[in-house]
Formats: sequence, structure tokens, C-alpha cells
Amino acid sequence: MSTKIIDPSAPKPKPPTATPIEPLKTDIARIYTYLHTLVILALYAYTFPSIVADPVPALLGILAPLAALQVAFVAVCLPPTGETPKVKKSKPGEKKRHVPGRVESGVNGTIVPAFLSLLLTALAATPLLTATLVLFGAPVTTHHLHTLLCGAHIALLSTLPLVYVHGVNGETWRQIVALLLPVDEVYGGLIGTVLGAWLGAIPIPLDWDREWQKWPVTIVTGAYIGYAVGKLLGGTVLKGKKIMFA
Amino acid sequence: MDNGEIFTPASEITAARGKDEKGGIPSKRAVDEDKAKRAGQVHFKAAHGLVVAFFTFILILHVAGIYLFTSGFLLTRLVLDHKSECAIPPIEPARAYISGDAQKGCWHPRTFGKAVVIIIDALRYDFTVPFEAQFEPTDLAAAAASPHPPPVAPRHFHNAFPVLYETAQKQPNNAFLLPFIADPPTTTLQRLKGLTTGTLPTFIDAGSNFAGTAIDEDNLVAQLRNASKRIVHLGDDTWHALFPGYFEPNLTHAYDSFNVWDLHTVDNGVTEHIFPLLKAENLSKWDVIFGHYLGIDHAGHRYGPDHPAMTAKLNQMDEILRRMISELDNDTLLVVMGDHGMDTKGDHGGESEDEIEAALWMYSKKGLFGRSSPAHTAPPANAKVRPVGQIDLVPTLSLLLGMPIPFNNLGKPIEEAFIGKKGADFENLAIVNRLAGAQIHRYQDEYAKARGLDESIRTTSLALWAAAETAWGSLGKRSNSAQFQEVYSAYGAYQRDTLSICRALWARFDNPKMLSGVTILASSLIVLATYARGLQGDRSDLTPVFFTRGAIGAVAGALVGFGASFALPEMPREHVLIFSTALYGILGIVSTFYSIRHRVLSPIPASIWGWTSVFFTLALSVGFAANSFTIWEDEILLHFLTTFGVLAVISSFRQRNKIDRTLGIYHSVLFTVLLRVASFSRLCREEQMPYCKSTYYASALSTTSAPWQLAIPAAAALLVPTFIIGYFEGTKSYQNTAKLWLGLGLRFGLMLAAAYWALDAADDGDWYPEWNNVISITKRAVAQIVLVISLAFGYSIYNWSKPLLSIIVNESQDKDGAPKEAITVLGYANVHGSRYALLITVWYLAIALLQKPMGAGAIGILVWQLFSLFEIVDTNSLHGSSIGPVVLGLLGSFHYFKTGHQATLSSIQWESAFIPLTKIRYPWTPVIVIMNHFGAQILCAVAVPALVFWKIKPQQKGLLGMLAKAIATHMLFYATINLATTMWAGHLRRHLMLYRIFSPRFMLGAASLLVVDVVAIFVSLWGARMSMLSVAEIFGFGG
Repeated sequence: MSTKIIDPSAPKPKPPTATPIEPLKTDIARIYTYLHTLVILALYAYTFPSIVADPVPALLGILAPLAALQVAFVAVCLPPTGETPKVKKSKPGEKKRHVPGRVESGVNGTIVPAFLSLLLTALAATPLLTATLVLFGAPVTTHHLHTLLCGAHIALLSTLPLVYVHGVNGETWRQIVALLLPVDEVYGGLIGTVLGAWLGAIPIPLDWDREWQKWPVTIVTGAYIGYAVGKLLGGTVLKGKKIMFA
Repeated sequence: MDNGEIFTPASEITAARGKDEKGGIPSKRAVDEDKAKRAGQVHFKAAHGLVVAFFTFILILHVAGIYLFTSGFLLTRLVLDHKSECAIPPIEPARAYISGDAQKGCWHPRTFGKAVVIIIDALRYDFTVPFEAQFEPTDLAAAAASPHPPPVAPRHFHNAFPVLYETAQKQPNNAFLLPFIADPPTTTLQRLKGLTTGTLPTFIDAGSNFAGTAIDEDNLVAQLRNASKRIVHLGDDTWHALFPGYFEPNLTHAYDSFNVWDLHTVDNGVTEHIFPLLKAENLSKWDVIFGHYLGIDHAGHRYGPDHPAMTAKLNQMDEILRRMISELDNDTLLVVMGDHGMDTKGDHGGESEDEIEAALWMYSKKGLFGRSSPAHTAPPANAKVRPVGQIDLVPTLSLLLGMPIPFNNLGKPIEEAFIGKKGADFENLAIVNRLAGAQIHRYQDEYAKARGLDESIRTTSLALWAAAETAWGSLGKRSNSAQFQEVYSAYGAYQRDTLSICRALWARFDNPKMLSGVTILASSLIVLATYARGLQGDRSDLTPVFFTRGAIGAVAGALVGFGASFALPEMPREHVLIFSTALYGILGIVSTFYSIRHRVLSPIPASIWGWTSVFFTLALSVGFAANSFTIWEDEILLHFLTTFGVLAVISSFRQRNKIDRTLGIYHSVLFTVLLRVASFSRLCREEQMPYCKSTYYASALSTTSAPWQLAIPAAAALLVPTFIIGYFEGTKSYQNTAKLWLGLGLRFGLMLAAAYWALDAADDGDWYPEWNNVISITKRAVAQIVLVISLAFGYSIYNWSKPLLSIIVNESQDKDGAPKEAITVLGYANVHGSRYALLITVWYLAIALLQKPMGAGAIGILVWQLFSLFEIVDTNSLHGSSIGPVVLGLLGSFHYFKTGHQATLSSIQWESAFIPLTKIRYPWTPVIVIMNHFGAQILCAVAVPALVFWKIKPQQKGLLGMLAKAIATHMLFYATINLATTMWAGHLRRHLMLYRIFSPRFMLGAASLLVVDVVAIFVSLWGARMSMLSVAEIFGFGG
């Protein structure tokens, strides 16, 4: 239910056994979590022709709806983190203030963290992911907006829910980057998005001369499909599984 | 792993073997130790020798497989020894012409008694056509919008050689200019064969460009000599390899053809000797002159077509030809042609349009030439219009000079030369085409007989022949021009059809040979894979058994093969022998796996790293089946390597040890960022256009570096040694010889290499014309010094270096105030790795010199990445994993592209042979070109042992076995790529892109496998032996 918060001053020899994130137990949450995936895919499918025709304005155009949908999704379906950036600053010691789903937490408990997550996604995750795209071979001298928007879409899909449920604790994020957390709906979404975007690079070099092979259409498409698949699998069959490296 | 152990108390080191030291008599102990050490050395040397022998056995298997496949894959054509004879025309001559008199004309009345044939090497068709005639005035706005905008302004190669076009346009009866299409491969030797025999060259000859052998099939030069014509040759000495002793010895002057650095010697030599021969008093001394100019080809190789040097060269040709026209007598035919074109960078060898589109121009003062239509008076605007084949030259020249058409000819007479000045003599055209067609028909009969070919292949062409003969038979004395034209086109149709049948026929592959080759490669791959990844425990103690059984199997196989070759007389003996030897050898090794099956592991990877290695290798291999993935291999490698970098970051985040984690993340990020930096160095292949921008040279149309690029080797000389020293400093291993080599030798050598490239640029660009001689001598001396520093001085240091350790004695007082000695050993933490890594830097220096300035930067980055990779492997405990050797394979292939190479024949930088030498010297020239071409792969193969050695314990058990495992894995990567490209080339042998994409990639895969095999065995494994012996001097063998 809730994430474990590790005290960084007391390093443990073994990584903590974090539990997968459970979506909220409300009916609306249970329905909307599936509905949300469909809505996002539908939104993308609907705009796909205009993205192919001219990626920059089209991707920019659905950025705000995507952000709104993701914010709505996390606020409705997911438990917020035990600590938001501001809370951490003022009262670092307190632990058991939040019980997910409690009514009085209301706006403070869900909407504020959701928007803080959005802010962090925009300011931290987007530049980082854009830089990663460039490392993978995205053009450096041209197509800046294309790449940036691609990074923004990937960030919104993958990172926003993660920030919402896990906050900004350093050790938690080390585990997130290290792929040490057990798979759940949110983590599955991240892994799926990234894998999808990675696989999206495959059709680019093919000599099919299709419009949709242009940068960054395949990457974004891969990310959306990957997000949907990863979120679905992470929430169901793969739930609780851990990724082993060696 | 043991990052913290920079300072190691000596007691800890000696503790391991210190047990029996207590109380023993010192002198006796020393003797025992000495004995044990010697015994250990002998044991190690023997074990090491057997590992080398085993890998050499694998190398031989690779050679055998590649040889069998190649000899079945590269096209072969049966050369018929028949010769055409003057008195025996292929068919009853027309108009009751009496054949047999070479003075009048053998089969057909001759037109010219003498000829001057000028070959201007690499004369591309568009060099000869004025810019205004090629391109419409361009609308700039429209051009910007179109994906392939036409050039808006003339390039350096435009409008510089207008004389051919002018004469053809203004005096159509005296001259004509046509596109002249070469049959690939577009290398000079192959082209000369095609131009003199009139037949299609086959690929198997492509490699013999620099060691040509005499042509023994019927050809024009031999026919001329048989008719006692006096032939003079001037220029390119390739002619003498093809036609030894054919030329008038006192008039002939040949020049070295391979020195592409030299634009003028050959050309000036030809000009100097050709004009005196044109003077009236000398006309009686010769009948035919072949002059071969090389300057334009060399200017292309050296500078690229779009360079002022090219303009100068073309202007010079223009001048020479104007003079030649004015001095030519009336009975002499003047022919000027290019033997091939050049690509946008000035290279050739392949079959892209720019490479095959040459120009042909004929001129005479007799005014005999014509055009079939007034619209054809002006030469074609581009090479797509009215082209003629290069094989058409042989029948044309033969008939014009009254010679018989060489027996193997497949071309047809060129229309403009026989149609008469009014452009209506279709009777003559029909007659000459009938003669050429009849010769082709005779040749086809003989060929079918010799090869035992089925009639069915030839049905269409036989029907066309019969139709043409019927049409000819129906002609009477009063037949009009239209009827003759019909007959002419009927013979033309027959010739075209036969040509296409021959093309298809000679694209015949020897499937059994190819299959045998693939079988050997595939089964040796399975053996190597099992050896590399599927064995438990120490490999070095099993290797002797592998080698012995393999050798016994091979000997048995040779005997069986020898016997079988008698039972199978229809199979070539060498094929049976090689196949059976290799197969039995493999069976011998496989029998070992069976005997030790308890130690054989499942080949399925157990970790994410194992899966990643398998995925990278297999994904690349599968991708080579698609031409797009082959074309974009450089980008795919970047993608995969960056994926490795990201996985390394993730893995580093998982490390519990904070130092390991931080170091791992730092080096993973560094590794990944350096990849992207290196990826800015690009040399695009033609198929990547327009999505790729070349940065390797000053511009996309040149092969010289921009002045700013000269800063790259200098920056690398300043920075790279410092970075390398940083990695040594990390474990306090920057000691003794490392200081001498890294701090002095390497730095100085790299500076000299940078100086070489500055001198080279000065020489190339004529910055100081009056000093050119001095500069060109100095630069070669500098290059030789660098190679001596690297391969003589550096290797000596490496060979005799002690481990990079030093011992500090700290005197202090303990609690009681008594004096105490604390001994610390510096450099203990990385004693194996630091000692071995010196070898990488030795090779780095030699390879960096041989790359162009941009490539020196890429190689510098590669070396930096290698050390980062060692740290990643160490901090993530991947010493035994397959990922290290596989990433080195990917990295080597990646930097292959970053050092200005592509999987195309034309990207071979032949001119690198002249960096340290002025002329070709065996064996140095091929070695230098290989070190230039495969520099990145060589460095990565040298780096493989360091993956195992880096920061490993000095007395690590089974180190030799780990080393063998890593080297086998690295070879496995290249062997898999080789097998895949081989299979795809064989499978796609009818693919349109075979010679442009799949075949060059197969050659690259095979060549890099062999180079990496040799380097891994004789440089890495052998170098590791020196390093391990010197470490064992101090620490003993781990056991």
C-alpha cells in the first residue's frame, strides 16, 4: 500500500523489500485505470495522422491533454507518496500521517502532489530523457523541437506517475533507476514506455519510404504502445516480479 | 572490485605463500622457491602454447570455410582459348568481300591504318559535358524544395575539359562523344581486360588489381600484334602486367601506377613521349599507340573531384588534346576514353552510377562519322542518354582497324562510327553487326560445348539469331535503307539477348562449394561457442585435449578426403580435401565435449548480460539480411552501444559498494557520451544520402582534411596520454616503465603523428611550394620514426617491463615508542591490468598515425572508452561475462565507421600505404593498409585480455582459462557476424543489391574475422603471456 521510506543515514546491506504499488480500492479507480490506458491510446490514434503530417505542432497540441489525463489518472487511481517535496522540507520525521484514501487529505493529498509530479516531470525528466535520446543518435544540429517533444511525451507517460507514487527520495530513485523495485502498474508503465521507444527506432532505417518513418513518429508511437502494454502487464501478470541482472 | 586497496601492506601479499617460511633455512627456501617458480613457468608456457595452438586451429577452420565459400561465390567464367583468325570470318562475308588481308581489312574493309588510343583513367562522363549543357538554369526556390536539388553552380570538375564536347558538337563528322558504361568491378585492371577482350570480367579477379597477370584469352592487342602491327604503350604500367612483351621496347615508356600521391609523373611522361611520335618523320615507326593518363584518377583519390587540383588536371588534358588534334595526321584515328568514373569522393571499384559512367570520344580528320538523327548531333546531356557499353569498343576498333573481332567479344559495333557521314548507311551497319553477331554466335556455340550447357538456356537468343539471318537472307540488291535498318536492329536484338544470357550465366555460383564453406563456418562456430560459453571451470586444462583431438581428427580427415577425392572424381580435389579435413577436425573437438560432458553447460545465457550479448550479436546478424540495416550499420551500432551504456548505468546503480557504484556510474556515462562524440565523425556511403552528412573530410566531395581538422590529432596527443595516465594513477600504477612509455614515448609519438598530418596538409595544399620536396621527405621520415617508436621501442618496453609496482617503507613508532617498519606496495590493486594495458597504448600509437586527422580523434576516443569499459567491467564484476568481449566487438565495428570506412570497396584508403613509404614494399604495404582499415577492430582485439586482467588479484586462480574464455568470446562475435553475412550473401545471390551491399559486407565480415583472429592470437594472447610471466616473477602463478 504505502512505500517504505528509507532513512539514508542508516544504510542497509540488503536492498529493502519494497512492495508493488496497489491502485486505490475505490470502484472508480479500478475502472478508470483501464479506461485511462484506452483514452490515451485513443487520443494518440486520433492525432496520429497530423503527427505524421507535421510532428511539432501536433505533438505540442496533445501535450497538454496528455498531461491533464495523466494528472487525472494519478489523482483518481493511485496512492500519493508519503512525502511530497514540500512536506519533506518541513517535517522530515513524521511517518504515519497519510493513510491513502482518507477523505480529509483531499486536495492536499492528491491534487497537489499530482501537479508537483507534473512540474518535476517537466523540469527534470524531460531534459534528461531528451539528452538520452540524443545519446542514442537523435540529431543534434536539427530537429531540436522534435526531440524535445518526444522526450516530453516519454517523460509524461513514464515518469509522472512514478514521481506521484514514489516522491523524490534519493534511495527510492536509486532503486527505480537500478530496476530494483518490484513490477507494478506504474513501474511497468515506465519500463514499457522506455522499451517501446527503444523498439520504435527499428523501422527508421528501413527503405520503405513511408511518411511515418520520419523522426520522431516511430519513437513516440513505440512509447505510447509500450506504456499501454507495460502498464497492463505490470498491473496484472507481472505484478510483484523483480528484474534480475545476474 | 578491490578499489580501496591502493596501498597494500606487504604482509598481506606475502601471507598467502608465507606459511612454510617460518623457521625454514633461508637459503634452502630460496632454492625451493626458485625451483617451484621455474616449474610454474614451464607449466604456464606449455599451457599457454597449447591455448595458442587451439586458437590457431580455429583460425585455420575459419580460413578453410571462408576460402571454400569465396571460391564458390565470387563469379567464375570459363576462359576459352580460341583465337579469331584473319582469314576465317565467322560467317560468309557480305558483298563478296575476300577476307584474310590485314592490310585491306580482315573481315571488313578497314577504315584507318593507325590509331592513337588515349585512356584517361577515371574520366567520368559529366567531366566532359559543359555545366550549362547538363543542367537547366536552376530555379533556386524550386531547387530548395526538391529532395535532390540539382547543383546551382559549376563544381571544380565542370567546364574544365570542354574540347571533347566542342569538337563533337561542331564537327559531328569528325568526332562523337558518348557515355561509356563500364561493367563492374570498376578497378583499372578489370576494366583494361574488358576494354581489350570485349567480354565481361568476373569478380574473382577484383582482388588481383595490384598483381595483375597476363591476359591469355583472345584480345585486340594480341590481334594487332599477330597482324605485325607495331604497338607503343605509354603510361600506366598495369598494361605490362596484362600484355608482357607486346609493345615496341624502345618507344614504350611505363610508369608506376599505384602512387596516388603523385599526380604528374605519369601524365608528363606520356605527354613527353607521345608528341614526338605524332611528327611526320616518326609516323612510320608505329601503328597503334596506347597512352594511359592517370592524373585525373589520382587527383580524385587524393583530393576528390571537387577540388582545384582536379580543375588543373582537366585543363591540362584539354590542352593536350587540343594539341593532339592539331598534330594528328589524316589516316589516324584518335580515341579518348575513361576506363571508369569516380564516386563523389573520387574513389572507385564498385558499381554505383558515378563509378560506371565513363566517357568515350572518337576523332579523325577523315570526316566519316555520323548520327542516325540530327537531334543526336550534340552529345548526350547526361550518361543516361544513348550510352554505349565498354565492351562495344573492341568490335568497333577491330573493324575500323581491319582486325578480326576477338573470339570472346560480346559487344557490338558503335553506330556513330559506321553509319557514314550522312547518317544513313544502314547497309554498312547491318554488315558490321552481322559480323559481330556471327562471332558472338560462334563463341556461344563453343562455350556451350565446353561447358556442356543445355540448349534451353539459349532458345531465345537462337531464335533471334535465326530471325536476323532470315531477315538478312531476304535482302536483295535493291533493298532500301529501311530494310537494312531492320536487319541491323535484328542483329542488335540478338547481341543484347546473348549479353543478358551471359550476364546471368556468369553470375552462376558453385553451390556445393558455398554450402561446404558455410557448413565449416557454422560447425566451427558451434564449437567455438561451446568452448567460449558452455564450459565449467578452467579452460586451460581442457584445451590440450581439444587441440590434440582436433589435430588427430584433421589428419584423419585429410586421409579420408584424399581417398574420397578418388571416389568422387567429378568434385575438385582441393574442395574434398579441405572439407573433409576441416570437418573431421571439428568432429575431433566435438568428441572432447562428449568425453567431458559433465562440464558442458547449457548454452542458454543465465544473466541479463548474457542475454544482452546474445541479443546484440544475433540482432546485428539478422539485420544484415536487410539492405537498410546493412547500410545504416553505423547508427545501429551506436544504438546498441548506447543501450549497453544505459544498462551499465542501471547495473552500476545496483551496486551496494558506494565506491563501485559511483565509479561505475561515472564511467558508464562517460563511455556513452564519448560514443556520441565519436559519432560526429562520419563518412557516408552513397546509399545513406541524403540523410547523412560526411564530416570525415573537408567536404563531401573531397578526400583531404580541412585545416581545422589538423587540430584533432594535436589535441589527442595532448589529452589522451593524460587520460590514460589517470587510469593508471587510480591504482598508483603509474610507475617505472609506465612513466617512461606513457609519459614520454606515447606523448612524443602522438605529437609526431600530429606533426605528420600537418606536414601532409602543407604538402597536399602546396602551402610552401618551394619547400615541397623537403616537406614530403620530412613527413615520411616523421611517420617512420613514429612507427619505430611504437612497434620497436614501445614493444621492447612492453616486453621487458617489470610489473608496475613500487614499495614504500614507512618508518614510524608504535604505541610503546619502538621503531616500526610498515611496508606498502603501490600499484598492487591492478598489477595485471596496468601491466597488460601498456600493450594497448603501444598499438594505439601506430594505429593513430595511420588514420586521417579525423580518424586520429576517433581512435583517441576509442582508447579512452576502452579504459572506461575496463572500469565498468570491474565495478560491476563482469570479468568473466560475455558482455565485455561482445561490447569490444561492437566498439571495434563502430569505430571502424568512425575512422572513415564503410562496407564498400571504394572506402579502402589505399593511399595510407604511402604514409611511411614512397613506393609499394611487400609485406609492409598490405600490413599498413590493414592497420589503417581495421585499426579500430585491431585495438579492440588487443584490449580483450585487459577485460579479464583489470584490477584482478595478482594470484588469481585459472587466469589463463579466463583469458581463453574472453578471447574465444570475442572471436565468437566476429565469427557470428561473418557466418551471418556469408549466409545472407549466399542466400541473396540473385538480389539486385548483391554487389553493392551484401557482397561487400560479406567481404568485410570475412576479412575482419581473419584480422581479429590473427590479432587476438598473436598479439593479445602472446602479449598476455609476457605480462603474466612478468607478474608471476614476483607473485608466482595463481595455480
